[in-house]
Amino acid sequence: MSPQGGTPTTRKIVLDGLWHNNPIFRQILGICSTLAVTNLVLNTVVMCTSLTLVTALSCLTVSLLRHWTPRNIRMMVQTLIIAFYVIIVDLILKAYWPQMSRNLGPFVGLIITNCIVMGRCEAFAGSNKPIPSLIDGFFNGLGYSFILLGIALSRELLGMGTVLGFKIPWFTEHWDKWVIMVMPPGAFFTLAVMIWICRSIKPKEQKA
Amino acid sequence: MKEKSLFPVGYMFVVTAVFSSVLIGLNAFTRDKVEANQQIAFERAVLEVFDLAHGGPQKIHQTFVERILTPTPDNPNQTYLLKEGDTTAGIALPFEGQGFWAPIRGILGFKPDGKTITGIAFYEQSETPGLGAEIIKSYFRDQFKGKIVTETDQPLRLRSVGSNLDNNEVHAITGATQTCTRLERILNDAITEWKSDSTGKGGTP
Repeated sequence: MSPQGGTPTTRKIVLDGLWHNNPIFRQILGICSTLAVTNLVLNTVVMCTSLTLVTALSCLTVSLLRHWTPRNIRMMVQTLIIAFYVIIVDLILKAYWPQMSRNLGPFVGLIITNCIVMGRCEAFAGSNKPIPSLIDGFFNGLGYSFILLGIALSRELLGMGTVLGFKIPWFTEHWDKWVIMVMPPGAFFTLAVMIWICRSIKPKEQKA
Repeated sequence: MKEKSLFPVGYMFVVTAVFSSVLIGLNAFTRDKVEANQQIAFERAVLEVFDLAHGGPQKIHQTFVERILTPTPDNPNQTYLLKEGDTTAGIALPFEGQGFWAPIRGILGFKPDGKTITGIAFYEQSETPGLGAEIIKSYFRDQFKGKIVTETDQPLRLRSVGSNLDNNEVHAITGATQTCTRLERILNDAITEWKSDSTGKGGTP
């Protein structure tokens, strides 16, 4: 049942999640939340933390149960596990950080349908040991996070002249705010530019 | 064969039961906290329109209980009254309606004359951050202070930025036309309904 020796090294898992197989600019997964929550840096930070935690823990759980889960119902079980962690995050935010819960609105709940989580559970955790799965989920979450933070930083700065709500000197006085950056289309443009930049960097990395 | 086909059903059942029980437990554990948060958010909004929302949740709740008279059968207008000794020092009118994405709920505060606005506060809104959600920022809300609503079918108006303002007009938010149009309608509906309820009773003594 369990093929041994197929587990990649930790170093490979980490680099794959962060760069070589980055969920956003390589796999183009989880784009919906990329577009929705990236107009304020603070919202993005909370969203990324939630997603990273959910991905890591879901992968761990899926991996722990992989020998007992019948193959024909594995997707149902995965969805259940993911939903379980997402609801926990949602409840904690509602109880202890109501303002943030209100800011993120339905998007916390929508992590359940985020392709990254299910993608990692299905592609990696279902056939690997628990600890590598946990690392894989965690670093895929981080790979998602740093791209999102990049997008959020440029959107908030160019669109509102602030970062994390703090006014940035030059941008408040001389910058003509680009309202479109705060609106959904701004996310499309920024995401495209981000993917472009990241994909152009890749060849250099491989040479080194 | 039979055993094999039943196993997935049983397995799913057990897994669901285990995860659900944990969630039910956690939900029961946080329910009070969540409800309290919503209540405090409302009380804070009521106090904010009178500039009384200071301190943490405990202090807010204490002030609310001490100073605010909640709607009773004697006070059919569904307004919250600010007590100053035995007299009424202010009127808080709750309003709600559909915003751009989701309902906007808030409080509009008046002086006892029922015309002069003392402040506006929101306790629930999901407008676009950076655009519609700017309604909760103080630069927008502060404009309402001291405005006097008129007895027309449009007691309050939101005008585009740059236009000259009358005594019942405030500047809207650029790029948030939908939110502002809806907010204007919500506020006017609430004021009109309240005025029509209180005719013969409210107004200046």
